[in-house]
Amino acid sequence: MNYFKTIINGIVKENPTFVLLLGMCPTLATTTSAVNGLGMGVATMFVLICSNTFISLLKNLIPDGVRIPCYIVVIASFVTLLQMLMQAYVPDLYKTLGIFIPLIVVNCVILGRAEAFAAKNNVLASICDGLGIGIGFTLALTLLGFVRELLGNGAVFGYRIFPESMNMLVFVLAPGAFITLGLLLAIVNSVKNRKA
Amino acid sequence: MKKLQSNILNMAAVLTVIAIVAAGLLAWVNNVTSGPIEKINNATIENGIRSVILGDRDIQFTVDQPVEQDGFVFHCVNDANGNLIGTAVESNENGFGGNLKVMVGFDPEGVILGYTVLEHSETPGLGAQADGWFRQKSADAKEQAGVVDVLLGAPAKPGNHNIIGMNPGDDMMLVSKDGGAVDAITASTITSKAFLRAVNSAYKALFGYTAADAVSGASSQN
Repeated sequence: MNYFKTIINGIVKENPTFVLLLGMCPTLATTTSAVNGLGMGVATMFVLICSNTFISLLKNLIPDGVRIPCYIVVIASFVTLLQMLMQAYVPDLYKTLGIFIPLIVVNCVILGRAEAFAAKNNVLASICDGLGIGIGFTLALTLLGFVRELLGNGAVFGYRIFPESMNMLVFVLAPGAFITLGLLLAIVNSVKNRKA
Repeated sequence: MKKLQSNILNMAAVLTVIAIVAAGLLAWVNNVTSGPIEKINNATIENGIRSVILGDRDIQFTVDQPVEQDGFVFHCVNDANGNLIGTAVESNENGFGGNLKVMVGFDPEGVILGYTVLEHSETPGLGAQADGWFRQKSADAKEQAGVVDVLLGAPAKPGNHNIIGMNPGDDMMLVSKDGGAVDAITASTITSKAFLRAVNSAYKALFGYTAADAVSGASSQN
């Protein structure tokens, strides 16, 4: 198994947002600005790498019949752990990301990768997969947040580009998330089809 | 190693062991982190009191033991001679996304010295602006002007949403839509209303009445 290929695979070929269309709920909810998208992506990546590692280690000890509850317990434990550690030792970061952390438990990217990859591959490959999918998710969320912040708030990473009077508020609100995601998917697909 | 078989005994045992290990680990981490978390929360309150009462002033002060009443927490701040400088009030309201907890500082006459949002679950980029919005002076409006604005030389419109220096006993602390004197956050009227309710109720808890009472009483009958 080529580990580097596994990482690239997660970023491009199996990008969780643009190709697999997994984890749409946090994607749509948290990408109101580029920073928020980036933060949610990084937090998800951390949990994804940890859960992939442990599930890959435990894959032979977990009987198939109870694998889903076992995975959920492992994932939920890591999320809670992350939340407590961040709250105690990086309170500034927690203030910005705090509300997104519990959302990671229900992110189906994590359960999806546990089931589709970590349960079938060795530890190192699973870590690489977590890293690749995590980076892919982070890039996609940051891009989505970037577009929505630019159109809806006239700013990029908090720096104002357009005046406030030119804001299209709908892009920061829920409908804007669907519109932006739909258009980005259309662009990604058209690029992909041209290559094929 | 061969995969464990999916019989009832194996399944029950594995799930139980994983759950116990996870619970033990979480209990241990909770034990380790609860100290630092409490310290941070206390520091947040202390910094909040300092910023809402003193602002940029650098003077000696003491804070009385907090008094809790009807869900409000009062922190009385005295200067070095023991004279009351102001009172910081913690106040809760239902915001757009959940609990909105603000701390408002009043001087002894009831004039707002400052405020800070302690806890909120408002929409990022919209209602979450409350922490800065209601203290924005018109001089700050220039910073709100975009690059395009500056290039075209268009003047930035100063908003009227600074509540610092207002007195809820005399001024209508309501959003302009409700006939008040404060501009709501753009597209976040619910958050703005909740914020002003929190400020008004903090004032009311301290002084017993607000200027907004008459209007909100009338509108609630409609």
